[in-house]
Amino acid sequence: MKRELVAQLERLVPRFDEMLAQAAAPEELEAARVAFLGRKGELAALMARMGELAVDDRPEVGRVANAVKAKLTELWQQAQQRMLPRPEGAYFDAGEPGWVPDVGALHPTTLIQQEICAVLQRLGFETVSGPEVETDFHNFEALNLPPGHPARDMQDTLYITERILLRTHTSPMQVRTMLARRPPLAIIAPGKVYRRDSDLTHTPMFHQIEGLLVDRHVTMAQLRGVLTALVQAIFGPSTRVRFRPSFFPFTEPSAEVDMSCVLCTGRGVLESGELCRVCKGTGWVEILGCGMVDPAVFAQVGIDAAVWSGFAFGLGVERIAMLKYGIGDLRLFFENDTRFVRQFA
Amino acid sequence: MLLPLSWLREFVPFAGTAEELADRLTMLGLEVEEVRDPFAHLAPVVTGRVVECRPHPGADHLFLCRVDVGGPEVLPIVCGAPNVAAGQVVPVAPVGTTLPGGLTIQKAKIRGEVSLGMICSERELGLGEAHGGILVLDAGLAPGLSLPHALGLEREVLDVSITPNRADCLSILGLARETAAAFGLPLQLPTVLVEEAGAPWSLAVTVEAEVCPLYQARLIRGLRPVPSPPWMRYRLMACGMRPHNAVVDVTNYVLLETGQPLHAFDAHRLRGEVIRAARTQQAMDFVTLDGQTRRLLPGDILIWDGEGPVAVAGVMGGQNAEVSEATTTVLLESAVFAPLVVRQTARRLGIASEAAYRFERGVDPVGNSWAMNRAAALLAELAGGTIAPGVAKAEPRPYTERTVRFRPARVAEVLGVDPGETFARTTLVALGCAVRQEAEDWAVTLPSWRLDLEREIDLVEEVARFFGMDRLPAILPLVPRSLEDLAQADTSFAETSAVKAWGRSVGLLEAVNYSFVSAADMARCGLPLEGAVRVANPLSEDMEVLRTDLVPGMLRALRTSIAGGTTRVRLFEISRVFSRDATSETGVAEALRLGILLHGARFPERAPYPRGEAGFADIKGLVEHLFQHLGLGGCRWRAQSVRPYLAQQAEVILDGGCAGAVGCIRPELADAYEARGPVWYADIDLETVLRLARQTRRQFVPLPRFPVVRRDVTLRLGWETSVDALLDTIAAMDESLVDEYFVLDVYEPGEGMVRHVTLRVVYRHPERTLKDKEVDKVHGRIVAHLLRQLPVQVV
Repeated sequence: MKRELVAQLERLVPRFDEMLAQAAAPEELEAARVAFLGRKGELAALMARMGELAVDDRPEVGRVANAVKAKLTELWQQAQQRMLPRPEGAYFDAGEPGWVPDVGALHPTTLIQQEICAVLQRLGFETVSGPEVETDFHNFEALNLPPGHPARDMQDTLYITERILLRTHTSPMQVRTMLARRPPLAIIAPGKVYRRDSDLTHTPMFHQIEGLLVDRHVTMAQLRGVLTALVQAIFGPSTRVRFRPSFFPFTEPSAEVDMSCVLCTGRGVLESGELCRVCKGTGWVEILGCGMVDPAVFAQVGIDAAVWSGFAFGLGVERIAMLKYGIGDLRLFFENDTRFVRQFA
Repeated sequence: MLLPLSWLREFVPFAGTAEELADRLTMLGLEVEEVRDPFAHLAPVVTGRVVECRPHPGADHLFLCRVDVGGPEVLPIVCGAPNVAAGQVVPVAPVGTTLPGGLTIQKAKIRGEVSLGMICSERELGLGEAHGGILVLDAGLAPGLSLPHALGLEREVLDVSITPNRADCLSILGLARETAAAFGLPLQLPTVLVEEAGAPWSLAVTVEAEVCPLYQARLIRGLRPVPSPPWMRYRLMACGMRPHNAVVDVTNYVLLETGQPLHAFDAHRLRGEVIRAARTQQAMDFVTLDGQTRRLLPGDILIWDGEGPVAVAGVMGGQNAEVSEATTTVLLESAVFAPLVVRQTARRLGIASEAAYRFERGVDPVGNSWAMNRAAALLAELAGGTIAPGVAKAEPRPYTERTVRFRPARVAEVLGVDPGETFARTTLVALGCAVRQEAEDWAVTLPSWRLDLEREIDLVEEVARFFGMDRLPAILPLVPRSLEDLAQADTSFAETSAVKAWGRSVGLLEAVNYSFVSAADMARCGLPLEGAVRVANPLSEDMEVLRTDLVPGMLRALRTSIAGGTTRVRLFEISRVFSRDATSETGVAEALRLGILLHGARFPERAPYPRGEAGFADIKGLVEHLFQHLGLGGCRWRAQSVRPYLAQQAEVILDGGCAGAVGCIRPELADAYEARGPVWYADIDLETVLRLARQTRRQFVPLPRFPVVRRDVTLRLGWETSVDALLDTIAAMDESLVDEYFVLDVYEPGEGMVRHVTLRVVYRHPERTLKDKEVDKVHGRIVAHLLRQLPVQVV
């Protein structure tokens, strides 16, 4: 009795294996499972006969039954895998979203300041800083803008007191550097500047970067070299640079620098034939002012103009950012809408 | 400065196009903003010949005209002007034309008669004041001509932007000089014939030399109250000036032509035969010719007759001696006034007159006479006047010629390219300089109209302008560096950039807010105005105080972002704040701050992130991350009220000092900025943090060779005890085998319920592997100590 039952149980294994091997469809596999492993299957039927055994024989047969059951289950699982072959890494979907850490972004004025400073640092210029609240001396007088000078009209000033003001340009940092150190000097000075002006194209606060080189035999051709390198580094090597005479009290000769328009690449008209709105059809956009340091400025800071010469330039960061990124509205810079800043990630 | 091309051509035979001229002037530093047609709006108006004119059958004062406008059809036009007549050539606005007044001509039926256009008066065309009847044109004009063409109106006017140094170019003459020099053309001045006649006259002129180096005047008698001729009026209009009468128009015309402001007094209204140009000693009220009462202060320059002031010198004349319809005799003033005083007075009075604009930039002291004579001759010619003999004049400081030493080699030294001596000499001569060789150098005598030229470098610039700054080569300099430079290096930009890079790397967006805030913003945030720096002349109330804290701007940015539909806001800003400081050079201290603001969900509200709002742990964690990023040792947190705008706040202590505060924006303040839930904010004193970071030295510690043993303990902790107290207590024990310890888990069974805090203590011996028994002993000591020192129980 015992031996027979054990033999029958053990025979289930090859029989089940054979049946599974012949199964061609998942339904047939399932039928095999029901026939052997189901509640009314062959295994269950044999196990039901355990009660007929002597009490002493039962544990041994029970162990065999369990082993057989485990084997059958294993065979069935293997068969199932054969039936549904899966690639390695099953239950994997590369389309589910990933855990992206928050992507931060720097303000476009920061990006441009960093980019410009990086280019000029490579050329040997050193970055300096200075106060945003300035004295009239550093902001105007030392820059050859005595009280009552008509050129003061070029910069409408926000005052704290009669002699203390919010710097209207980054040029006072030139003055501070020249007063504090002896030439040769090569500095750039980025920072916030302030004007009493607010409309579509002016905000009362904006950013500038000042550059200054003081050495022996500095020439305007070198100024052009540095500015050409700067503009081409930021806007691409095919950008052209134009020097046009202008006037600043602290430089002589002075020039306004234009670059070939970014939108129409200097043609003045767009592909569509429309007049380019960025350069108003001229093909050029004004980007900065510059010149050779005026001897009067050297005199104010005690540098001998007979020995030393220099150039200086100042550019508006927002203007560069608007041209580079195609930002049409200046006011967006200081509203800090998350949707604006996020674009500069 | 508006420059009509035809006017320029009276001074220089320039034959090129307006665009050629605009390009050349721009590249000479006289930037042409645009070339405009001031009468473009009149182009649709055409000349028409009235071929028939008969009374309107249905109306008394109307005429039915048939007008030939050069087209195939003769237009029927109903006209109400009393002076319309057959045979006239008249301006016709056809259907569709919009006149300067805004009226658009439409096809109309007037009392039953069809009218296809309008015959216009001078006023309807915006060309003058006459409106008693239609404008009758030269009968020789062919029909169908565009009106601006028929009238010879200026079609090309260059809008030239003049830099403050080029006072000489605030005139047709000045721009003609530049044009002549640029194109190698001769300058041709109109002939001025001053025919003096009539009885002799006398006027005693006295001036204060410091404020009026030159004052001269002519008397013109027998003037008729006539308008100036159309060509003059049209030119003034093309230059943006409104014509008045012949006398005023002539002074304006010569001002535009020469840059010399002139003033005409009604001579009969001047009292006594004296004129004095002097500063007033006392404040007074004075009515200027625009009818406004002006408050004059000591120091303002006035023109006085025998009894009192008659003009604010160089700024505006007085009503008391203003020319009028009744004027027959004028005193024509041509003077030079001190730029600074004119500027101060004009600014204070808020008068931006053409005269003041030129005086404050400097006028040509020699050209002064030519301008006066030109105006006198025009008055004689156009208003029937007679120029009285002689000139009344005071010139305490006659102009003396200025000569500058010029080293031709300087040009190449400054520019880095050599235009050549011949070019330099030709340019200077073309500009009106006299050049004389003196040994190696040149003695250059400067023209009287170029007051901006004073030094050698100014002449170098002139040569560069005409050579063409765009012809400079681009050469990179070898920038000198010294060891001193490197030692003194200013690191603030690099340091700030590094912190900004950190902000970006932890997923924050950078904000840049205005440095000014309103007093109301400050008050709302509970920030005191005391010690804050005020702007003396703010643009608006919104910008009257320099910020003492970044929070008002950050809250504004939050509101803007929420209004833009963003629900999850994570911002930072690094900027300066300002406070009064008597020890500073400017009286203002500036300090760098970092503000961080978190609002909304902790993670993006989408898969695969868990849900939940950002909380104190997030903002605190960011600050600790920054400090670790900068290599700073542990910071300490102390629950303390340090910022008026924060609730649930803690102060962060670095190296024993306060380095900032972190907390939740007070709910009512958050509400005021339309926040939807808690707003977490950190205000960090970046000056302190960066100073400490600068002092930090990174030091390598050899890696441990033996394994660690970990032991955990879970304690019940009430809210009256801080988790920090657990850690501090362990730290105080200074057990040598303790390698590190930290909070493994905090379990809060329910809001406000006693927390279960699991601490993990990690043990290690530097020289051998620890035995369980030794660890158990130390761990037991630590737990016992905690239970003794703090109101906690083991779970």
